[in-house]
Amino acid sequence: MVKPDSPNLSPLHPLADAGQRTIAGVLVGSLCLLAASAALGLIVNHFSPRGVPLFPPPQEQAAPPLPAGLRSISPDQAYAAFQSQSSLFLDARSPEEYARGHIPGALNLPTKDFDSRFPALADRIESAKSIIVYCRSVECSDAVEVAEKLRELIPNSIGVFDRGWETWRAAYPSKQGDQP
Amino acid sequence: MKRVLSHPLTGRLCRLLLGGAFVYANTTKLLRPDEVARLIYGYRILHPDLINLAGVVFPWIEFIPGVLLVIGILPRSAAALLGGLLAVFIGAAALVMMRGIDIGCGCFLPIFGDRVGWPMIARNSILMLFALQVIAWPTSLLPGRRR
Repeated sequence: MVKPDSPNLSPLHPLADAGQRTIAGVLVGSLCLLAASAALGLIVNHFSPRGVPLFPPPQEQAAPPLPAGLRSISPDQAYAAFQSQSSLFLDARSPEEYARGHIPGALNLPTKDFDSRFPALADRIESAKSIIVYCRSVECSDAVEVAEKLRELIPNSIGVFDRGWETWRAAYPSKQGDQP
Repeated sequence: MKRVLSHPLTGRLCRLLLGGAFVYANTTKLLRPDEVARLIYGYRILHPDLINLAGVVFPWIEFIPGVLLVIGILPRSAAALLGGLLAVFIGAAALVMMRGIDIGCGCFLPIFGDRVGWPMIARNSILMLFALQVIAWPTSLLPGRRR
């Protein structure tokens, strides 16, 4: 490896080379970049409509944040809605994952096929009193994306079952195949 | 070998690939901290108190150095920062794999798969080599002898 102060490295443009000739300079530059980038992120988050609270209240820490206006549905709430049939479940995963197992009665509306699939399901979705969208597990964003798209199209109450399919299948009934 | 590694063309390629990868991966994440927070949450490594903060900050500490690297401003510092982040990602992926947790990696190129696993570690290791090349033999788009 070439030493940082090797003549082979110079000259770069002053902007490219500022403080870059020693290891200490490179590390200080990295730390400054880190701090400046993080500060920019915090500023943008403060003014962004999709910004999130940096330190959410304790009761919201059990799951990651949802965009404003979307309800978070716990596993117990999802199961209660399933039993009472008070909500329509929408599965935002791929058709292959849906066929391997889904919540009985759930319609498959994958994020990627939303525009092509929604018209065929529109009547059933619009007539539902409330809608619960889920995807694979807590770290996937497909359910949130589908919920946000639905929110622009219909006025129904929309919730996101954060824990998703992986939590559901461990405790509650499931169905295989491509039919709800 | 050293002549190839230290050649300005190699430097340019490594700088653009490394910087470009981080810029491309983060353009859609910059204004979606909730999605990034969900991804980070899935790793089950960070304390819940810090997940939102990480979701806000991480895309920017990847994106800005990526942009600077593509242009060639402070290339060695930007590459060192991204190399450090890649080391963190590799460590986090190894920890997740050791625990047997199957989660999405939020990866930007589907050809490497979308789960945390060996392909993700291999990709990040290759990007780390690019970072080391840039640190050793930096180049820049800005006027200068080594472009």
